[in-house]
Amino acid sequence: MTQSSVDVPAKGGFSFDLCKRNNMLIEKGLKAPSFLKTGTTIVGLIFKDGVILGADTRATEGPIVADKNCEKIHYMAPNIYCCGAGTAADTEAVTDMVSSQLRLHRYQTGRDSRVITALTLLKKHLFSYQGHVSAALVLGGVDITGPHLHTIYPHGSTDTLPFATMGSGSLAAMSVFEAKYKEGLTRDEGIKLVAEAICSGIFNDLGSGSNVDICVITKGNKEYLRNYMEPNPRTYVSSKGYSFTKKTEILRTKITPLMERVEITEVGEAMEE
Amino acid sequence: MGDSQYSFSLTTFSPSGKLVQIEHALTAVGSGQTSLGIKASNGVVIATEKKLPSILVDEASVQKIQHLTPNIGVVYSGMGPDFRVLVRKSRKQAEQYNRLYKEPIPVTQLVRETATVMQEFTQSGGVRPFGVSLLVAGYDDKGPQLYQVDPSGSYFSWKASAMGKNVSNAKTFLEKRYTEDMELDDAIHTAILTLKEGFEGEISSKNIEIGKIGADKVFRVLTPAEIDDYLAEVE
Repeated sequence: MTQSSVDVPAKGGFSFDLCKRNNMLIEKGLKAPSFLKTGTTIVGLIFKDGVILGADTRATEGPIVADKNCEKIHYMAPNIYCCGAGTAADTEAVTDMVSSQLRLHRYQTGRDSRVITALTLLKKHLFSYQGHVSAALVLGGVDITGPHLHTIYPHGSTDTLPFATMGSGSLAAMSVFEAKYKEGLTRDEGIKLVAEAICSGIFNDLGSGSNVDICVITKGNKEYLRNYMEPNPRTYVSSKGYSFTKKTEILRTKITPLMERVEITEVGEAMEE
Repeated sequence: MGDSQYSFSLTTFSPSGKLVQIEHALTAVGSGQTSLGIKASNGVVIATEKKLPSILVDEASVQKIQHLTPNIGVVYSGMGPDFRVLVRKSRKQAEQYNRLYKEPIPVTQLVRETATVMQEFTQSGGVRPFGVSLLVAGYDDKGPQLYQVDPSGSYFSWKASAMGKNVSNAKTFLEKRYTEDMELDDAIHTAILTLKEGFEGEISSKNIEIGKIGADKVFRVLTPAEIDDYLAEVE
């Protein structure tokens, strides 16, 4: 009687059994799946009275601009907003779902939602999908415990910070924040700094562009400044106008209407529904 | 669930064609505290007695009138715990509808779904029917609406209705007093007078609860101070 050896799974932790196989496959010529670049600049900072969130408005499909003026700042609760970078469908679906859960929670408890609740619901969901839900978020809001700002990564880890940036333009924006951020900024100073950081992302990162959206959240109040700045306006017509140098001689003019002009008079009753 | 001795449905037909458990559930409702609702031309009001078992109970912690959505409210007669469960289920259904269709749930839809839940509990194994009747008040695109939902799962739209202990007196009073073109404030006064009809003891803002919704489509439970104002006007 042969004793078949049984493979006992390792107790806890990760199993690295497949690494050898993966290496062998790569040597054989298999291309490993690549990362998805998050073509966005999203930022947030805490100022004296609350939180300011900022985002660019370009949605990209590889090298193509899919939407020149999309909305990246999503509503979570009356006092909480969330900027999303990564796959647009993922950020929209995840923020929509958690916003719905928060609303139900508000009915049950009779209280305003807390930022940490939104944070925990988001990170639980993202972790359970092990990074396949490609949503990198900057979550900010003001609740009963004060102003809060968090970043959430696609795999489910979070950071709590006084100022944060995410997306492909995050390095450009972070350089602005690191140079100019200080505690106790006023509303106008904060907005100016956020706009500057987003512009830095817009002009220096190919994945970000178009306009700047800003959302200011304070205790009991929020202002969603859609298209706060439009540093890339579209110019349609040349201001100088067009002029033709050579004059063409007109020999004959004949105008043929393509369609008869028909007058419609309503007679009788309208169709029943 | 299948192997249990009680896995058959407890609501089985009697020889006379009735579901006895539902009849008993309606009796439970009939012995609950009186509640009523009136649909005015520009809003809906629902009200209930809030008789607490002892003066030691903190009356501010008891809320019999609940929100289901920002524009739909509900009150009950019967067993409080059953009401709690129904409110929770209804809120979840309203939120799921909102998420799917990105539209606030119409009052008729929410009533229908709540009634479906109540009916399921009359045709499932090992459960009993809910011992509550609900009065759902809402204001949506179709205007102000008032619905009553019974333990059997049947629902009706009412211009004015009452449930609970004092139902026959209250309904007679409402029949006499109701007019089609009543405004919301008149309706609130009528509601208070109807409650007063069968009230044991002194009526005050501490032992009744009133909820209203107007053309602003926001359902609100009145504060004790507001109830006092209305009571003073009625006197």
